[in-house]
Amino acid sequence: MSRHTLAAWLFLTPALLVLAVFSFWPVGFGSYLAFTDYSLIRPTHWVGLDNFRYIFENEMFVTGLRNSVVFLLMVPFVQVGALALAVLVNNQLPGIRLFRAAFYVPVVTTVSVVGIMWGFMFHEQGALNYVLLLFRLVDAPVGWLSHDGIALFAIMFVTMWRGLGWYMVMYLAALQAVPADMQEAAILDGANRWQRFWKITVPMLRPTIAVCTILSVLAALKAYQEVDVLTQGGPMNSTFTALYYAYDQGLKHLKLPRALAASFIVSLLCIGIALLCLRWLKPKHR
Amino acid sequence: MLTLASVLLAVHAAAAPVQKIEFWTFSMKPKFTPYFDGIVRSYEAANPGVKVEWVDFPWDIIQTKLVTRIVAGTPPALVSLNVPWADEFARDGLLQPVDALLERGRYLPGTLQDLTFSGKTYGFPLYSNVAVIAYNTRIFKAAAIPHPPRSLDEQLAFARQIAQRTGKAGLCPALAKIDGLMMQQGLAVIRNGRAVFNSPAHVALIRKLADTYKVGGLLKDSLFAEDNFPAAIDAYKGGRLGMLLAPPTAVGRIAMDARDIYAVTDVAPAPLGPTGIADGGWLIHFGVPAGVDKALLPAVGKFARYLTNDANQLAFAKAASVYPAAARAASDPFFTTVPPNAGAAEKAVVAGAVSMPHSHTLYVAGVTDYDELRRSLVKAVEAGVTGRQDIQQALDQAVAIWNRKLVKQFPAQSVTTKGSGTKTVASAAVSQKRPTGGPNAQAVTVFVPDPDVVTNSAVMMAVAP
Repeated sequence: MSRHTLAAWLFLTPALLVLAVFSFWPVGFGSYLAFTDYSLIRPTHWVGLDNFRYIFENEMFVTGLRNSVVFLLMVPFVQVGALALAVLVNNQLPGIRLFRAAFYVPVVTTVSVVGIMWGFMFHEQGALNYVLLLFRLVDAPVGWLSHDGIALFAIMFVTMWRGLGWYMVMYLAALQAVPADMQEAAILDGANRWQRFWKITVPMLRPTIAVCTILSVLAALKAYQEVDVLTQGGPMNSTFTALYYAYDQGLKHLKLPRALAASFIVSLLCIGIALLCLRWLKPKHR
Repeated sequence: MLTLASVLLAVHAAAAPVQKIEFWTFSMKPKFTPYFDGIVRSYEAANPGVKVEWVDFPWDIIQTKLVTRIVAGTPPALVSLNVPWADEFARDGLLQPVDALLERGRYLPGTLQDLTFSGKTYGFPLYSNVAVIAYNTRIFKAAAIPHPPRSLDEQLAFARQIAQRTGKAGLCPALAKIDGLMMQQGLAVIRNGRAVFNSPAHVALIRKLADTYKVGGLLKDSLFAEDNFPAAIDAYKGGRLGMLLAPPTAVGRIAMDARDIYAVTDVAPAPLGPTGIADGGWLIHFGVPAGVDKALLPAVGKFARYLTNDANQLAFAKAASVYPAAARAASDPFFTTVPPNAGAAEKAVVAGAVSMPHSHTLYVAGVTDYDELRRSLVKAVEAGVTGRQDIQQALDQAVAIWNRKLVKQFPAQSVTTKGSGTKTVASAAVSQKRPTGGPNAQAVTVFVPDPDVVTNSAVMMAVAP
């Protein structure tokens, strides 16, 4: 090992120790407990795949897992939307700072406030239905959160709305790091705006796109806060997500091994999809 | 000599071990801090050598805290719980029976029955609640309804009438607690360890709800949410709901938040089901956790009796707008006399007191993973009420799900088929082990005219291995 490598490891050691205690150990121990009948009141026994069999036979977990995968549909929309917003607010226009701040507000708004606000919006007598009825776009109020075919998509929209500002800021930072001389050279070569965007900006943003996409995929698979504040899994269990099931079992009903088994599955899914994203979105040139 | 005796006494008193009694409540701070501080001070003053410590937790973490402390071997002496929690803790051996410490005659019989599992009583009743019907007289007049409803059928019929004549919703039942409604209406959820909520009578009940839903008689907002009360009271305060089934405190909230609606609000006792059980009962009590030092139990019992005596229960009930579980406190004029020029809020207190002796905590006891099973029942009911699935089919599917789980929990029972897909059980092992007397049996005969009805105590009888 070279001196440089040794020094690097030396500097990394404190952080690794903290990670080991507060991340690796809980994850490892939690994963082990998913294979046991752990409870606070009885001795723990190894039960193999019993917890996994239980949750896969459970309609709510299976629905939750399917919904978590459906949640991934949100990822392209949030990424394209955030990129478009970033390009928009990257222009030096009057009042542009106000727009940047406005788009970022949902990111810093707590989920409870978001839940109350969108609860009003999605209410059968709420603002959204009022506008739709006013312009005669619908004949009767839409059950945004009370119809089992719509509620999940309403929640996905809220999650997307919350995340948009966060990714916009990341793209904005990346856009501002794109060297101006490359754009100028392209202009001299006669490239139009659209060509410059596709041929220069997007390739330069590829590492940021990869990071944002992975974060967005993980956020989609881990969705549960919005579910908790807006529908608690209803109507007809249609908005249960895999992680909401874990929360419901673990913290509401103290069935910790089932919750851990569900979390284990979600973690595997997260790791698998993150690896795929890394493979697909890896920058071709360094 | 006298001085010497005094000194010796003082030394003895100083050397005597202090008995420490720690008791837990949930979600009482800060509103009831003066009340509980007062209890602690006065008890300590009257009982030298006893040190009382009051701890309050938010309701959603008290169970975890309790389990942790029991496992650690340092449980509190008393803990405030609701009945379903007590049932689960008692089954897990985390609570001690308190029969030897109770003075049974002090409490309303129904409250003790709620806390009796497998023939043993697991708590000192503190307070309960009961629903009244608050109704908007302006909406009633517009819908030409002459009087408040006297049965569930009338409630639903009035709700339909309100919807058809005013375009507003009439009622917002808590359909996430449909199991409680079924039991209150005399329809069994479980019989002999098997789900039986797909009988023609059950289907008829859901059909009535579905018919009311279809014409807009039920408030759609959060109708099947675990807690739809906020949506219901908001709708009532906004003049969008004709009837509100709620505890008397809710009428006080209407008075504060919506004066115009309060001005046209009147109240009536909520109809008792055919079982004679009132809606909205939810008993809170003090239980004694497992692991509390046996030597401390007499002192714990004495303090628990003090905590739940007539005077203290009455003071608390008045402050919290709930109903005392102590018999004498419950018959205080505060709960039985309508003051002159009373508004709906004051009338509601008396209307609720009429139902209080019929109040029970309705839930199914003794079943592992009950909440999960209940969710599949609620899903089936939602599908049936909203017209997304045939009611019989939806209930049959839910019963099948329940029985797949129940057969694992109570495997000794053989399943036979009766009626239109109704699965019931000709039980061998379980029925032989049923207690033949005691409080459980009494609960069935007193409160359950129909032998199919299952209240918490009755279920314990039905499923206890």
